[in-house]
Amino acid sequence: MKNIKSLPELFTLIVATVACYLFIETQINLSSLDSIGDLSSIDLIVLSFLLSVLIAVIAVIAGVGGGVIFTPILLAFTSIDTLIIRSTGLVVAMFSGLVSTGPLMRKGLADVKLVFLGALPIIVGGMLGSLSAIYLAKHLGETSDAIVRLLLGLLLIFIAVMFIFSGKNMEYPAARPKDSLAMRLKLRHSYWEDSLKSTISYKAIHIKMAVFLFLVVGFTGGFFGLGGGWAVVPVLNLVMSIPLKVSTASSGVLLALGNAAAIWPYINAGALIGVVAAPWMLGQVVGGIIGAHILASVKASIVRNILITMLLASSLKLIGRGLETLLGVEIPII
Amino acid sequence: MRDPRKHPVPISGVVYGEIIYWLTVGSSFVVLLGTIISFIETQSLVSSAYILKSVLTGKNVEEIWLGSDISQIPDIKFYITTFNFGESITILGIAFGVFSVIPAVFCASYFLWRSRNPIFAISAVFAGIITICSMLAGVLWA
Repeated sequence: MKNIKSLPELFTLIVATVACYLFIETQINLSSLDSIGDLSSIDLIVLSFLLSVLIAVIAVIAGVGGGVIFTPILLAFTSIDTLIIRSTGLVVAMFSGLVSTGPLMRKGLADVKLVFLGALPIIVGGMLGSLSAIYLAKHLGETSDAIVRLLLGLLLIFIAVMFIFSGKNMEYPAARPKDSLAMRLKLRHSYWEDSLKSTISYKAIHIKMAVFLFLVVGFTGGFFGLGGGWAVVPVLNLVMSIPLKVSTASSGVLLALGNAAAIWPYINAGALIGVVAAPWMLGQVVGGIIGAHILASVKASIVRNILITMLLASSLKLIGRGLETLLGVEIPII
Repeated sequence: MRDPRKHPVPISGVVYGEIIYWLTVGSSFVVLLGTIISFIETQSLVSSAYILKSVLTGKNVEEIWLGSDISQIPDIKFYITTFNFGESITILGIAFGVFSVIPAVFCASYFLWRSRNPIFAISAVFAGIITICSMLAGVLWA
């Protein structure tokens, strides 16, 4: 509440959104609109907004795109066209990252150099991945896609296990041997850790390997339409020895930049439908600002637990979809 | 390494963050305006009641737009030329929010260059150029 009062733009946006939905609920003739069960279309819009706020808060704290949560839920529980879900999912994946950029940069939690180090390989990898997906879909069909999904799911479980067993060492990684390229690029920085009331300094390592892995992350993100949040944090934290909070903050900012190029084809294909995307976008903006302020004060161990949960949930989804295609069966829960 | 003192935050990051933050917050109000207009307008070619009904019943993108009063699949040019409709205002608001990264990367690149980080400044410029190309390709090919 104190945070909301200290952020007049957030307060105004919440009040304006609530007033808008109250106006629509009370002044619009609901009989002209469709409904699902007892819920009118307007009720669904309001529910979408509230769910979007919740997703954005979790996504910003975990450093993943909200699309990882949004897309499976809508694919599982609605009959909405998949292209509309994917385009709205991109809005969900992007806007919490966009709006959280301000508070995270202001607090020094996101590192602008890490963002621009990863931006080009992720964008280029994403474009190559999209082109490869189109090529493989034409020539090899769904089987190869299923195998790669399955392997990717197993890889995510491996990363989650590494986070579990590396324990607190990865929340604030210890100083490692110097990396000459990182020294030349001045990839060293510090940030104020509110939960410890002290400044944490860090130096990046393994730059060449990280750039290569960002390219791979971009490629798989573009290939599967996954977004790369599930992998950017492990690359920053486990490979480059960046503290966990800086990794999650920089990951969200990096994903928003990487996805900004991807939305335009959807707009031009008429797949982004304003009245559907609006509550999700507004929820991401409100939740993104709230999440960015929570991340600054939350304990790194909580961030790590949320991240492990997200990685395991994504891996189950991937393995499930891979098995569904390979075995020709439906796995209802996944 | 821990230090009880606060260190300054790099200006390039702050500039990058502030530009994106305020343009995104601004775009939210445009989207909100579009939402209200979508529901109160009576003369629109793109009725929100029709769109919502079509989306919820599982129609695909082509069926939705070809069955609407506009009888065509809209692109960014359509939204710009019909900017007085609620649906168009909403889409343009979202597009404006996405556009925020373009001025932000170029401003950040300037400050990265001034702080003697030429590699990152150049990387930022290339990231901005790719994003502009993606946006222009959509507009020009539409």
